[in-house]
Amino acid sequence: MFKGIFGERVFKAATLATLIFFVLFFTGIIISIIFYTNPGEVLKILFSAEVLFAIKLSLITATITAVISIIIGIPAAYAISKTEFRGKSVVDTILDLPIVVSPIALGAALLVFFNTPAGIAIEEHGIKFVFVVSGIILAQFTVVSALFIRLMKSSFDSINPRYEDVARTLGCSKFQAFFKVTLPLAKNGIISAGILTWARAIGEFGATVTLAGATAMKTETLPIAIFLSLATADVEKAMTVILILVCIAMIALIAIRKAVGRGWLI
Amino acid sequence: MIYIKNLLKNLGDFSLEDINLDVQDGEYFVLLGPTGAGKSVLIECIAGLHKPEKGEIWINGRNATGLTPEEREVSYVPQDYALFPFLSVKENIEFGMKIKKYSKFEINQGLKKMVNLLEIENITHRNPSTLSGGESQRVAVARALAVKPKLLLLDEPLSALDPRTKQALWIELKRIHRELKVTTIHVTHNFEEAISLGDRIAVMNEGKIVQIGTPGEIFRKPKSMFVAEFVGADNLFKGICTSKIEDETSRVSINGVSMDVFAAAKKDGECYVSIRPEDIVLSKEICKCYADMNMLKGKITEILDKGILIKVVVDAGIQLSVLLTRRACLEKELSKGDSVYVIFKAMDVHLF
Repeated sequence: MFKGIFGERVFKAATLATLIFFVLFFTGIIISIIFYTNPGEVLKILFSAEVLFAIKLSLITATITAVISIIIGIPAAYAISKTEFRGKSVVDTILDLPIVVSPIALGAALLVFFNTPAGIAIEEHGIKFVFVVSGIILAQFTVVSALFIRLMKSSFDSINPRYEDVARTLGCSKFQAFFKVTLPLAKNGIISAGILTWARAIGEFGATVTLAGATAMKTETLPIAIFLSLATADVEKAMTVILILVCIAMIALIAIRKAVGRGWLI
Repeated sequence: MIYIKNLLKNLGDFSLEDINLDVQDGEYFVLLGPTGAGKSVLIECIAGLHKPEKGEIWINGRNATGLTPEEREVSYVPQDYALFPFLSVKENIEFGMKIKKYSKFEINQGLKKMVNLLEIENITHRNPSTLSGGESQRVAVARALAVKPKLLLLDEPLSALDPRTKQALWIELKRIHRELKVTTIHVTHNFEEAISLGDRIAVMNEGKIVQIGTPGEIFRKPKSMFVAEFVGADNLFKGICTSKIEDETSRVSINGVSMDVFAAAKKDGECYVSIRPEDIVLSKEICKCYADMNMLKGKITEILDKGILIKVVVDAGIQLSVLLTRRACLEKELSKGDSVYVIFKAMDVHLF
């Protein structure tokens, strides 16, 4: 089909056309939001107590979620990348589940868990999660931590095991080799996976609304603010918060590009 | 120094079997073999990077079989050097010394010594990613030697280098070994490299050591067809030992061509013989032949320019390759189709 130079051109045009369609589609959506909002109104809503609260809550919860994901995710990702054990493929599949399963389902599962005797015991004697801020963090963690592990796994996969081998023969214990060689080698991977995880946590809605609820000025993160504004038909406010989210996403993506672009790993 | 006894390592579709090895203190020992022979796996076992299923590894009088790599005092330079890309050359060399908690003074002394020894004074501030292959190699060796290892393991250290750099580093490795006298095991698939560096060579094939000996022994007296072929024996024939002439001389018949072979051990029936191409002389005139000489009449079928040497192929009932210097070839005015006498000593025929 379409042989020779003509074929090459048709192929190039066809693939580029789909790309252009894609880019236009997304820029169109974002531009439509900008057109819909009036700058004066945006500033007023932006500095309203409720939106400032939502921004603050989102930044704090997503940062805590990202930090916990990094602390737990790095050793877990290392284990799945570099250690051979029985049932590894099962573990690998389980790790993919939170990425594939709908967040609202994960939130519902969490809610059900806190109605089991174990869950109730945690709620009564440990930390409360249902319909409170810590629930937001747990919900975000449940949805995004697997993503962090997945990203870190591919980062560790790409690190030549020879570096650790050499470090060991130069006198490093396994721990020293990990901290002094593998972690510095994975630095860019950690930064970009961390930022991506953080950005995904900021945008998390389904699990959060199910476990922590949508209470204004209490468990109101940015996505929940959008939901509440739409529910009350306050479109201006919804659009403003969407713009904030788009800005945060852009900043995160630029930061990742910077972090990765400077480095030598990915 | 290094003593390996009945080592077995199974890696799924590949295994090291029954490895027995004895490397002397201060020796430059070469593991030679084709790709996939198990050379790298063997030195990784010695470094402690693989745990063998069976057998023992003794390093410096200590059973090291169960020790972790950091407890073995063995330095390892992998094929790709694995210089840490997040550290400068200087920091790479200092890495092991810092881990081993050398004093600041010792680290400075060690760095200075390594930098001088490997002649890398000008590149210490650079990042490994900016180094050439030869420079990376020197830095990797410096980093390995800086921690004063009891044993240095080099995995194909020269294979990624261009021929000129390779030649220069052969000489360098030999010099460094002379100066430091650190026991070294060097893995290579290159026979010339093995011969010019090794005090002794172990030839490996399919996970087994097939022959251990000095370069001369491996080169002139291969014990099997595999070793003979691997070390580039051109004139390799299967024959039959027909009769014994004297105490130490036998007659071998190859496709109806008979030659005398000097062999202390008597062989009966089927055997292999090899004759190094450089041990054969060509002459246009018939020579007075001594009892221990073989002379065959043949015709030159091919003259190949090999650069410094000329390879002449003679059909004397069997195809014989002869290596001559360019000058010898010119003086004898040899050309394709000429009738020549092929002369070689019975002692230069290796029987196995």
